[in-house]
Amino acid sequence: MDAPIDVADCLRRWKQGDESAAEELILHLHPIISRIVRTHLPRRDHEDDVIQEILMKIFSRLHQYKGDAPMSHWVSRLALTTCLDRLRAQKIRPEVRWTDLTPEESTAFDVAWLGSTSPDATEAIHARDLVDKLLSTLSPSDRSLILLVDLEGHSLEEIAQSTGWGISKIKMRLFRVRAQLRKMIQNLEQSK
Amino acid sequence: MNTENQSPEDQKWHALLMRSTPSFTGDATPPFGFLTSTLARLKAEKRERDLLEKIGFRALFSSLAILVAVGGFSIGIQLQDRLDFDPAVKSLIMADDVPIS
Repeated sequence: MDAPIDVADCLRRWKQGDESAAEELILHLHPIISRIVRTHLPRRDHEDDVIQEILMKIFSRLHQYKGDAPMSHWVSRLALTTCLDRLRAQKIRPEVRWTDLTPEESTAFDVAWLGSTSPDATEAIHARDLVDKLLSTLSPSDRSLILLVDLEGHSLEEIAQSTGWGISKIKMRLFRVRAQLRKMIQNLEQSK
Repeated sequence: MNTENQSPEDQKWHALLMRSTPSFTGDATPPFGFLTSTLARLKAEKRERDLLEKIGFRALFSSLAILVAVGGFSIGIQLQDRLDFDPAVKSLIMADDVPIS
């Protein structure tokens, strides 16, 4: 994923007005940023705008990148922070009730309960909308944490590295988020 | 993932997440027009930054110049004041050899 790219050279060339250097960097970083934005922000958020915002931040802070860690780590942290800032600006839902779900989301909920069949793209989107709804009741950092663990399969150490939180704090939060999700799913079942 | 010790709600959450996985996959390449618009924005921001830098430097140099001019002027005035005595006082100084300090 992190193909070798001479960041210092790209930066030097970009400062000298070489547009191809910026192009090289954007093409290299786009998949990394796109994955993070798509994971951590709700589906309908303006994805391209956020990616562009992150890229602008990267270019304006490129001189801060020391090169002692892979560039993807530095970029991931910046992208995650930007996503969290965006989420903080959004309102946290108090709860999700059965009546809040669209018919497609209700079906996604029932189908998931029955077991896993391989979904087509539309079903995946309905399931995603429901996941977004459930996640919208969590705080931004809790939301990102559960996705980092359950979706991306990151270890606690990796999360500690990318968020700057301590391992015990992560464990405690994870325990609390799981309990919250469990309760939410129970409530949905009961409010049917 | 080990599902043995999970509650039905946990299993449901994971099943739901698994079903939605394809929607989380990022794009390998930017969409059409993304690169052009990003480069244009980058260039505009760089131009703006350069301009602000230039304005900043100009402001710094002009305030320094003003500072030097004002400093020179006040030193000049002070020296002039020191030598510009009344003729009576001047003759008294010369007669008594009073040191001017």
